[in-house]
Amino acid sequence: MKQESVFSTRVYPVLFMVILTVVFISVVSGIYLTTKERVLLNESLFQKKAVLYAAGIDFPENQPQEVQSIYEDRVTEVDSEGGQPAYFKIQLPSGTTGYAVYVRGAGLWGEIVSIFGFQPDLKTFTGVEFVEQNETPGLGARITEQWYKEQFRGKSGPFELVEEGASEESNELDAITGATRTSEAVLKIANKAAETARDKVEKGGK
Amino acid sequence: MAAPGKIKKTFTDPIGKNNPVFVQILGICSTLAVTNKLENTVIMSLGVIFTTTLSGVTISALRKFIPARVRMMAETLIIASFVIIVDITLRAYMPEVWKQLGPYVGLIITNCIIMGRAEAFALNNPAGLSLIDGLSSGIGYSYVLIVIAFFRELLGTGELWGITILGEWWTNWAIMVMPPGAFFMLAIFVWIVKGVVMKEEEAAK
Repeated sequence: MKQESVFSTRVYPVLFMVILTVVFISVVSGIYLTTKERVLLNESLFQKKAVLYAAGIDFPENQPQEVQSIYEDRVTEVDSEGGQPAYFKIQLPSGTTGYAVYVRGAGLWGEIVSIFGFQPDLKTFTGVEFVEQNETPGLGARITEQWYKEQFRGKSGPFELVEEGASEESNELDAITGATRTSEAVLKIANKAAETARDKVEKGGK
Repeated sequence: MAAPGKIKKTFTDPIGKNNPVFVQILGICSTLAVTNKLENTVIMSLGVIFTTTLSGVTISALRKFIPARVRMMAETLIIASFVIIVDITLRAYMPEVWKQLGPYVGLIITNCIIMGRAEAFALNNPAGLSLIDGLSSGIGYSYVLIVIAFFRELLGTGELWGITILGEWWTNWAIMVMPPGAFFMLAIFVWIVKGVVMKEEEAAK
């Protein structure tokens, strides 16, 4: 039998892995760097759309430049500490000044991050957009569907959950059939949203 | 150059009688997870086909150089690189889909089909044949998922590709969009294929 040398059993495998790693990581890093700007742009556009949607301002879905200019016209980012603004000051379609804030809370599987828009009274919602969620696809994840998000407009808390499609009063929220825990999580988030907004806007107003 | 018969067999085996999903029961994690919407399933399938094909070729091309005792590490590194390329590309060019697929794109790395094909095929066969094997394994995986997703989305939401098909009268089967729905659909699929189609083939022999 051939005697295995130190080189073939010890040195070569290590050398091979080092070279392989360097080559592949370089390729991946290269692709990452070339798409980085695009990814950042996507993310900032995503946030802008979310704020506009929460404020109830119409924008063309597929025209980034248009979204950009509407956003710049209407929205002022206040206290951008470390990138994410403390709150957004928004000129609402009605002509008054509204606000929007990030509200975070626990969902069923992970964190739900949402942007709530408010009328000048800081109580009545102009709308909501869920920017991050890991709820069950097809059930809890339906919180990102139009019919669910639209129900928040013009409502003010504290809220109660009612059956899917049954909400009538301004303090009732539709639950999602089959996604009770997610519905409850969103209820909690919606209930603390006004307080979060008041905190942030008043702190920022000093 | 391999014999034409071998090429054909390499291509048809993973699609038919040696299918990774319904015969080898591999890649079940993603089969259960991403099949409740047709669109996500198709994107996921493309990602898997891309990865199985390219990782097969790469591993096969390097098979004479990969030391046996670190071969798993090397395979994982190669597979992971291709998966991250898919992930980055989706993130840059299809951010909406990327958000919906969430962690499952990254989990292609651990898809047993890819590692399985690398170990069982790419390490022992030339690059051209491995390309065919990777491609057909990916296709074999994809069409099963797409069939399952078709029924799950249709029955679970009354929609296909996000477009309403069944209308108001349809009551959505909530179970279809939950993981148990995938178990049922996969089981029915395996049952039909193995119990009916494959038996008939055997009887014909």
